[in-house]
Amino acid sequence: MAIATVLKTGPGSSIQDLGRRGQANLGIPLSGAMDMKSFAWINHILQNEVNDAALEVSQPGFQIQFDSPTYIAIAGAEAIVRLNDQLIEKSNLIAIQSKDLLEIGAFLSGSIVYIGIKYGFKTPKILGSRSQYKGLTEDSILHKGTKIQYFMDSEASPVFNAKAKWSTEWYREEEILAYPGPDFHLLKENLREKLIGQTFRISQQSNRMGAQLLELLENDLPELPTNPVFPGTVQLTSGGKLIILLKDAQVTGGYPRILQLDVESQWKLAQKKPGSKVRFKLFQPRISTISR
Amino acid sequence: MELNAHYIVISPTAGELKWDAKPDDFLLSKQLGWMEFLEKELKEHVLEARQGFTAVSIIWRTPEAQSTFQKQFQKFKIKPKTLSSQIWEIPVCYGLDYGPDLGSLAVSHRIRVNQLIELHSSTVYRLHFFGFLPGFPYLNGLPEQLHTPRKSVPDRSVEPGSVAIGGRQTGIYPQASPGGWHIIGQTPVELFDVKKSPPVWASPGDQLKFEPIDSGQMEKMLASPPYPRKR
Repeated sequence: MAIATVLKTGPGSSIQDLGRRGQANLGIPLSGAMDMKSFAWINHILQNEVNDAALEVSQPGFQIQFDSPTYIAIAGAEAIVRLNDQLIEKSNLIAIQSKDLLEIGAFLSGSIVYIGIKYGFKTPKILGSRSQYKGLTEDSILHKGTKIQYFMDSEASPVFNAKAKWSTEWYREEEILAYPGPDFHLLKENLREKLIGQTFRISQQSNRMGAQLLELLENDLPELPTNPVFPGTVQLTSGGKLIILLKDAQVTGGYPRILQLDVESQWKLAQKKPGSKVRFKLFQPRISTISR
Repeated sequence: MELNAHYIVISPTAGELKWDAKPDDFLLSKQLGWMEFLEKELKEHVLEARQGFTAVSIIWRTPEAQSTFQKQFQKFKIKPKTLSSQIWEIPVCYGLDYGPDLGSLAVSHRIRVNQLIELHSSTVYRLHFFGFLPGFPYLNGLPEQLHTPRKSVPDRSVEPGSVAIGGRQTGIYPQASPGGWHIIGQTPVELFDVKKSPPVWASPGDQLKFEPIDSGQMEKMLASPPYPRKR
């Protein structure tokens, strides 16, 4: 099999697919790509299966070398992409030759770049997924020197997809759509107004497990019995911290679960840099047929 | 005693059954009855169900499945699951290098170290669910005398197998991780092995009891981790 070798990487970049659904009963988090929109796009461009694994690059200064011909696709954050030191303008679909060196430089907007490859990266599947996670996969993140297998492909490029355009407008909006969480009713009216009306900023303390917000929401909510949480659950700690759980979040938690983000808003949030502003917009679930 | 769930719609495809009660065996047997029902009878509509101390959360395949469930759930006759009477015996080396917080915890509760060990190891705990980390067991039944608020500043790294107290609960860290609970000992037993199917040996509803071992036994067992005994 062909081999791609990571020559340079910042911390926190990893291999991801759709993740491990349905294993929370063992305490196993969902994992999977943080920004499913970009992830789905690259597999679409490559005409891959939807669960084919890609690289999730969350730091600039990433280099990878391919030992055999293939096609790759890049989407997500807007970044400076170089192939053998040549700037690549349109980075949708790139033909790769033996020994080609790909570099992801500065991020112009967004915070996660996805690199997909024809047929997907072929690391071993653990419990149904290639998504890296500590204690499950052999490595929990990509390191300098990590070697990843892939299938060589020197066939002609699938031309009809090559001109498709990737837009990054969608993740720049500040508005984050959310449903009231199961513990939302515990919030007093003034706290609800602050939560929904105020602008929050994303803190540096953000990773694949969750994003913290800088502004506090002082409260006297009790600590609750530990209950299920999901990616997109917004927890409010006794200290007033708002924590938005993301793909590698634990499966249960004891802090009040005050909001649940809409899935597309989770992808949007995943692309936001620390310091970015967000505003929650509440919508009630539309269940019009219910009369009780 | 009658104890009915209410159903909270969270999003068009997510909701949870919630009980206004304290976690105990009675509620757990009801929750496990629901989990089984969802997995067997509503399998084609349920993408995933997960369980906490007082809730069962459900991710539905379609919004229609959820609204149908919301209308009907009170009519379902759910048989509570009978909880296991067998007990897993988990060897634990208390204190020393294995339980760095044992001494300070005894001091803060104004009891002797050996009293604390006796209290912790004479209790039979009930496994409610796995959470926090793969294979981390949430155990109910910690004697009230040992309830302890979590550390205000979590430890950066806790050893795998660490037996700890946090709030009203006791638990075991399956892998090295940051942790806010008080570490009183360590077990040589492996809690989660990804190469095994299933990767855990216990199931929700099982009982656990800690058996104190000395450091000599601990060293031997660490060299070849035993499978826990069930009696």
